[in-house]
Amino acid sequence: MALRGVWQLNKLIVSYCDWGGSSRGVRAFMESHLPAFKEISPQLEVVTELNRGQHPYLKGLYRNKNERVVSVKNMTPEDILPCATRLRNSLGRKVVKLKTRHVTKHPSVQGTWTTELKM
Amino acid sequence: MANRRCIQTLISRCFCISHSPNPSPHPILKTLTIAPHFLLQTEYSTVQSLTPTDPGKICSAFPSFSRHLCSDNRTSMGSIDNDGDEEEEEEEDDDDDESEDEERVHLSGKSDEQKAEEAAEIGYKVIGLLEESDRVFKPYEPVFAVVQVGSHQFKVSNGDSIFVEKLKYCDVNDKLILNRVLMLGSTAQTIIGRPVLPDAAVHAVVEEHALDAKVIIFKKKRRKNYRRTKGHRQELTKLRITDIQGIAKPEPIPSMKTEKRATKKVEKTAVSA
Repeated sequence: MALRGVWQLNKLIVSYCDWGGSSRGVRAFMESHLPAFKEISPQLEVVTELNRGQHPYLKGLYRNKNERVVSVKNMTPEDILPCATRLRNSLGRKVVKLKTRHVTKHPSVQGTWTTELKM
Repeated sequence: MANRRCIQTLISRCFCISHSPNPSPHPILKTLTIAPHFLLQTEYSTVQSLTPTDPGKICSAFPSFSRHLCSDNRTSMGSIDNDGDEEEEEEEDDDDDESEDEERVHLSGKSDEQKAEEAAEIGYKVIGLLEESDRVFKPYEPVFAVVQVGSHQFKVSNGDSIFVEKLKYCDVNDKLILNRVLMLGSTAQTIIGRPVLPDAAVHAVVEEHALDAKVIIFKKKRRKNYRRTKGHRQELTKLRITDIQGIAKPEPIPSMKTEKRATKKVEKTAVSA
């Protein structure tokens, strides 16, 4: 998740509840895997928010003002880590079906082929 | 683990021997002296040295080494039978667990060399260094290369981005070298590989590891009451091509901007003077 060397994910908010059972995995994740995750990505600002009475979620705020929310309700810490990693690894772009797998601004080097081209 | 098992069996055998009807001091003393040594080699050597004296009893003390359990000793010592069976089962379980663990270790924990080899074979890439404030993103150069990553081929130029099947052993902001180059071309020259060009290299930087949009796979057989819906998101890696090496690049034309700046500076100095 780096466009031309610049990391795109600015902030990761881990919202959890300290009473609810659906947040059990997130609470365990915050104790076990979150410190390592913070070390792997030092440029990322990771914030834990207490949101009582609500289900837990991970919110990623990107440089292009895009927000991606992933619900981690009833997930184990081992499942939450790839979710967080995926948020970190992606650009903030909208998830649309790809038109082409090769994006270029200069499609031709030696000149575009035409029927009148003489080799 | 094997050491611990041996010592456990040793100790249990010692106690059994001590509890047996005919406690002969020599094997006990010898086994007791062996027990503190935690090296397999010394134990095995002592076994070999002791075998001519009391073969039956010493064999029973070290069943785990050679797996030749002395059935004579077992039948003679009635109290050991249950312990022996339990130990056998424990040993088998331990071995099964160990073999499974070994298999798991082989599958999941690959060494760096194996990873690099796999990467080189499947994805035709070599992981370079991470980005460290390098000026890697150069302006466009009129040079192209045909590169193969996995089973897909791309015609690639400087500054292009490519979506490739997920590359396993690289993280975001890693530099890669795509070494399977099939063709190079510039405005004046074209180099064709047969099938690969050995000296060519294409440098790329990993931009993103993300999931594609969801594709719904819908199956239906009409009038047969059969309908299935499955969602699929493909994992992709976005690479940005930074450099193509192996071909003479045409020199960049001196830009008009620098000339304009020079003329402006001359005018300013003239005005100030």
